Amino acid sequence: MNDSVIPELYPESEYNPSRDVVEGDGRISIEDLLNPLSEKPTYGKLRKRELQIKKNTRTVHAPLSKAVQSKVERTTAYERSKKDVTKWQPIIQRNREAPTIFFDENVNLGFSTVGAIASEFEPRTEFEKKIAALVYDDKVVEAHKMDGSKLLEMNQVSIEDEKDRQNRIAKMRSLLFHHEMKKKHIKKIKSRTFHRLLKKDRLKAEASQIQMDPEAAKEYAMKRERERAEERMTLKHKNHNRWAKRIIQRGLNSQDEGTRAAIAEQHLRHAELTRKMHSMNGSSSSSEDTSDEDEDENSAASDQDRAYKLLGKAKDKTMKVLEEEDEVPKSGLLSLPFMRRGLEKRKEEAVEEANLAFQEYEDSLKKLENSGGSEDLKAALTSGRRVFGPAKAQISGTSIKEKSDNCYEGSDSEDDLGIGKSGNMENMESDLLHNEDLVVMQQETDTLQKSVFKNIDDIIENPGPKTTYEVSMFVSDSWKKAKNKNEDTAMKKSPKLTGPVRQDIKDTEKELREDSDTDSEGQMVDGILSSVSKVPYELPSQEELIRLTFAGDDVEDDFEKDKQEILNLENPEPEKPLLLPGWGQWTHIQEKKGLPSGMLKKHEEAQTKRAEALKKRKDARLKHVIISEKIDKKAEKLHTKSLPFPFTSKEVFEQSMRVPVGPEFNPASAIGLLNRPEVVKKPGVIIKPIEFEDVNPHEKPEQRSGGDKRKLKKNSRIGGKSIKKAKAGGKS
Amino acid sequence: MKVKVISRSVDEFTRERSQDLQRVFRNYDPSLRPQEKAVEYVRALNAVKLDKIFARPFIGALDGHLDAISCMAKNPTQLKGIFSGAMDGDIRLWDLASRQIVCQFPGHQGAVRGLTVSTDGRSLVSCGTDATIRLWNVPVTTLSESDDLPKNIVEPASVYVWKNAFWGVDHQWDGEHFATVGAQVDIWNHNRSQPINSFEWGTDTVISVRFNPGEPNLLATSASDRSIVLYDLRMSSPLRKMIMMTKTNSLCWNPMEPINFTAANEDGNCYTYDARKLDEAKCVHKDHVSAVMDIDYSPTGREFVTGSYDRTVRLFQYNGGHSKEIYHTKRMQRVFCVKFSGDGSYVISGSDDTNLRIWKAKASEQLGVILPRERKKHDYQEALKKRYKHLPEVNRIARHLPRPIFKASALMRVMADAKKRKEDKRKAHSAPGSITTQPLRRRRVIKEVE
Repeated sequence: MNDSVIPELYPESEYNPSRDVVEGDGRISIEDLLNPLSEKPTYGKLRKRELQIKKNTRTVHAPLSKAVQSKVERTTAYERSKKDVTKWQPIIQRNREAPTIFFDENVNLGFSTVGAIASEFEPRTEFEKKIAALVYDDKVVEAHKMDGSKLLEMNQVSIEDEKDRQNRIAKMRSLLFHHEMKKKHIKKIKSRTFHRLLKKDRLKAEASQIQMDPEAAKEYAMKRERERAEERMTLKHKNHNRWAKRIIQRGLNSQDEGTRAAIAEQHLRHAELTRKMHSMNGSSSSSEDTSDEDEDENSAASDQDRAYKLLGKAKDKTMKVLEEEDEVPKSGLLSLPFMRRGLEKRKEEAVEEANLAFQEYEDSLKKLENSGGSEDLKAALTSGRRVFGPAKAQISGTSIKEKSDNCYEGSDSEDDLGIGKSGNMENMESDLLHNEDLVVMQQETDTLQKSVFKNIDDIIENPGPKTTYEVSMFVSDSWKKAKNKNEDTAMKKSPKLTGPVRQDIKDTEKELREDSDTDSEGQMVDGILSSVSKVPYELPSQEELIRLTFAGDDVEDDFEKDKQEILNLENPEPEKPLLLPGWGQWTHIQEKKGLPSGMLKKHEEAQTKRAEALKKRKDARLKHVIISEKIDKKAEKLHTKSLPFPFTSKEVFEQSMRVPVGPEFNPASAIGLLNRPEVVKKPGVIIKPIEFEDVNPHEKPEQRSGGDKRKLKKNSRIGGKSIKKAKAGGKS
Repeated sequence: MKVKVISRSVDEFTRERSQDLQRVFRNYDPSLRPQEKAVEYVRALNAVKLDKIFARPFIGALDGHLDAISCMAKNPTQLKGIFSGAMDGDIRLWDLASRQIVCQFPGHQGAVRGLTVSTDGRSLVSCGTDATIRLWNVPVTTLSESDDLPKNIVEPASVYVWKNAFWGVDHQWDGEHFATVGAQVDIWNHNRSQPINSFEWGTDTVISVRFNPGEPNLLATSASDRSIVLYDLRMSSPLRKMIMMTKTNSLCWNPMEPINFTAANEDGNCYTYDARKLDEAKCVHKDHVSAVMDIDYSPTGREFVTGSYDRTVRLFQYNGGHSKEIYHTKRMQRVFCVKFSGDGSYVISGSDDTNLRIWKAKASEQLGVILPRERKKHDYQEALKKRYKHLPEVNRIARHLPRPIFKASALMRVMADAKKRKEDKRKAHSAPGSITTQPLRRRRVIKEVE
């Protein structure tokens, strides 16, 4: 500290220079200040202090700049508050790790009972005050206080009043009942006249009411207006209105385009509506017809059938027309006697016509049957198909159809329409059926023979690869497997055995004609075995054995085939363009030019593409390897492309997905825990911000309660073992 | 000879009431149910699809303001009361249940920029560009009478005129202080007409302020110099300043984690910071395509809602990098303020089109009373969704985006990709180790000022 003190009123500056600047060195020292005090009693003390200060002088640094000072201040403040805030760390940690946080516990909802709410109620509005005045009347309160018996006294009703009331009610009830009964009775009456009269009365009453009552009149007028409006709307399309009539009168051609368009639109609309109306009426029958037709088209196997069907349908339709005409109107203009006579005449004519038509149908049917049957016969005889199953089915099918036609004709004859040819028809058909049956029989036998011969011959000529396998079995003395079908053919390889085998086969052929083939096989095999057992057997050499063992086992070839198959499956070969007459081009052009160039080009492109794809395959250069490049798209969507974020290892991720959480797969006690959401809160309950509580981070996890308003609980894992809460079951 | 007979105890199989469900006994042997995983996968897929079908978050709009809504405040003691302030100086109290105005607080001459309610729900503080702070007594809501009568009009309890316009206000949790921001940060007491404390650090305007609800003496502000500053009322000075690359429009503390806060940034991202470690964000929440205007945490602390200038409201997980929901309507314009309801099940947004909108916090949640069996079913579906959310078929089902947002986000993606490509190339063509890329969490922070 300086030893001089300069008393200045204002801080030193250029406008207020200090004295030493103005007057030279005239500094005031401490001595100067102390000297006037030398007579005071405390002078000695002061003097001593001054000397001490002089003796050990210290320099005091200038204060830091404000910016630096505040920076230091801020740093320390930040450090302190950082430290302070860190106390939350364990709580946050706990809450974050908890699988579930609860915000819905120990909620004080205020009033819990009706009584509590009612006790807090204060009347505010006029009405409430009135009610309160009545309820809290002294008398009533008092009456309530004394076990309620006084209430009855206050609530006295005279006997006459009660009787009156009961009588009134009884009268009303009986009136109601009588009214009801009357209505029921009227409803049951079936007489039309009665109801008509009733209706008339009602209308009359209504009419009178309309005259009397302005309300009813208004309503009636409204109703009429509405009806009229509806009619107007419907008539709009009929050109009956004045505007349309005038336009038509003047001639459509003289109108401008807009008017013509409007009229045309009306026409169109009318046509549309009428069409719709008609279609609505006749829709059901037409749909049936179409469905019938469809079925016919679908089911018709041959032209003949279709013809049958068509004829049948025609007949059916004429029948229907006839039946319809039977109905004679009983009332109206048509019921008059002369009209009726005229109608009958016309009907007779129609019946005659129909009969003629029926005759025509029958003739044509006959022709058809003759021609069709002969064709079939020829076909069956000449074609000699080996596979007779479908052919037989066809024939039988037609026969069945004919039968059904037959039935149909029978029904016709019942209708007294004079068809006398059904008998002939039946005869014809029965003959035909007979013939067909015969043909079928012949065919069957033929084909059977042929097939048997062929089978056996084939087997003898082409011993398949499997036969060699069976040979090896035979060599290793396992006779028990001798029942195999291939066994016998294996025998035929050794030339010594051919003779007996041939014999056997001939035998079996004989047997085949009588028995089923499976049985005959067994016998045949037995025969072979018995014959074989007599032949002396020599062990073949090792080489021969190996050769025999792998004779048909071309592994490389098999592998190549397999690979080719897989290639074809994964990169399928493009379809060859097919020449369909009239497809893509006109037929005559196709005949000249062959396939369209575009198709060929496309095919070529597809082929090159395939070749490239095959080249690009990983196993293209590897001859003995198949690397499948097939991606199972269905399985692909069940896998993630990469490991999802919070997981660090595949195993953990898979483990997390492993155990199902559904109610079908877990007992009810576990579901609540498995399915509990992360945050459990109640709607309508205000959640307050967190409050501090001391948490020991190394403490064992258990239930903890926060403040009295809210609980934060935790159910965490330690050492991989989860601690189930007793509360969990109750919550779910 | 021993004869085995099927026996059932009467107690186990008798129902108490005829409405009770018959008990079903199951064999939970997993070998009996080889298809369980497939079944659950399909259920999860269906749950996600149903979730999308039932996602109807919009509940209703509160129409009545005459100008854009600039700020909102929720009543901490009441669920259905929400205050809204508009750009024309109008403040209204709404009843969310009936979607009607309860009363109005007229008086501000300019835009209302800040609204807050004391923790006891009795007094409302508003401030605005007319450089006044107004304290109001919140009326006890009597809804049934407010239908026919002329709108209840409330007079301010006190008006403090100050030197500068205000940009925001927030009330301390469970205390008697509130902080206003504008030219500086002022701490006020309810009973004094002068601020009891003022903080000033730099000369730029402070635009938003939030008290920490868990740690009531801590508050954070953001300023127009792109900074975020922390304060402690117990200290005489601010604590720490951090400057980002873009301005922070608003911020919010996590009510369940008092050390974390999230800043809604002008660049369309939100940044969650640990107050103790400001040089790096803990999480960057991306998805908005324009500036995020406001943010509010759910009282559960597990999610927060943001309103953006791109006309959408989004919901984020507190630790999720991308939004889990997007809310938008054709009529909703720029969103200026958002709030979570006190029970965490609704979201309220105020936008430029003078409407407040109420949304469900969970888009496909079933409202109303839910039976225990329904609750169980919902829980099961949620669990399944959570479990299978990584599988492509489940993952692919996303919310519909409005076309402008979709296009803008696609464009932003392209730009980000290009930038990344360029950086990668630069890195590849320079000496190894000479160029280091910083993570986005750190990249957006310019510096931390002591």
